[in-house]
Amino acid sequence: MRIRILGNLVILASTVALSYGMQVSKPHYADLTAPIPVDGAMHDTVRARSFDVRLDKVVFARQLKTNQFGQEKSLTTSGLWAVVSTNLTATAASTTIADGTWQGPTGLRYRQTERLGYRQDMPPHGVDPGLEKRGLFVFEIPSDQIRGASLLISARQFGPLDAQARISLDGLPTGADGQPADVLPQYDLDAPQAQPPQGKS
Amino acid sequence: MSAVSTATGPIASEDPRRERKWRRRSLVALAILLPLTLAETCYDSLREWLHGEDLIARDVDFGQSAPFGGSDWKLADLRGGKAGRLPDHAFAVIATFTVTIGDPNLQKQWLGCKLMLTDAAGRRWLPDFISGVSLPAGLMTCTSAIFSGAKRGDVLTIGDTFIVPEDAIKTIRPAVGLGSERPWYLRFQRPPK
Repeated sequence: MRIRILGNLVILASTVALSYGMQVSKPHYADLTAPIPVDGAMHDTVRARSFDVRLDKVVFARQLKTNQFGQEKSLTTSGLWAVVSTNLTATAASTTIADGTWQGPTGLRYRQTERLGYRQDMPPHGVDPGLEKRGLFVFEIPSDQIRGASLLISARQFGPLDAQARISLDGLPTGADGQPADVLPQYDLDAPQAQPPQGKS
Repeated sequence: MSAVSTATGPIASEDPRRERKWRRRSLVALAILLPLTLAETCYDSLREWLHGEDLIARDVDFGQSAPFGGSDWKLADLRGGKAGRLPDHAFAVIATFTVTIGDPNLQKQWLGCKLMLTDAAGRRWLPDFISGVSLPAGLMTCTSAIFSGAKRGDVLTIGDTFIVPEDAIKTIRPAVGLGSERPWYLRFQRPPK
């Protein structure tokens, strides 16, 4: 009888210990339903669930020139502007790609800028299957967040369990101090793309 | 004292048997209740998902009309070509439907109305704005039709423009999805050449 009581007590204690262990080690709901990363490198086509993305070019600039409602504007920053050109296609059905995030080497995340207002070449990008489209993502980042950074692109800002393209930006030329090798004094978003931007520093 | 000891004898021998019986019953109940709980918690999400997706096609021959969302839908025309500013290797396509209104409560019946093009590989294109191409006169989009105040018996011409890649143009078929009919959608045969 005593052995049985002892046995029951052992079972109860181990159940309590197991339950407590499960409770403290339980992942946060946001982590459980977080986007699923699909890794890739610059110039590779990364296949997410509903779209394909290829990162073509990243240009760094100290100022951005843009046309807003017929007025020319020059946007300055205490950090750097990173203008990311991508090539986007939908996989199975027409969709939109709305979210771009610059993830720094330490995990700091910078959302795409909202200072530019509405532009056709800025998110949300409407994409169709079989049709490639150039899409820009523009970020305002501190200059120490470039080496070892990655670009996260997903269809929606809060897309639980949806794919998220995670493109490593290791291919970006940087100096010994981690600063980008080429920084333009100004980048004109409305300049024709065939011409290389002028005024390298 | 002796009366008590004689009374506990048979009860004590019966206890393990009863306990085993109830343990077995509980296990059987668990096997039934767990899947039921899972089904109950999934039901709402599953229903919402089914009503939001165009999953099952109802094929309609060209020239035939089909009742859908309280009205009769018929493919009137499907034409494609190079027009306006298009990407390389892409065509502009205009799909036109003739719809005879049955239930005039379009805001309920046609909620989430979607005109689509599908190809043989199962890819889908939604309407696109094509710079330099406007809808023919008298043609309205699905959304504008919902708020047109159409009455029973009215005949509406509904259509939209699409951008489709060259490799899909030979097999594209127009399709219509409505909130009140999902997961079913109508898929029309192409007009004969």
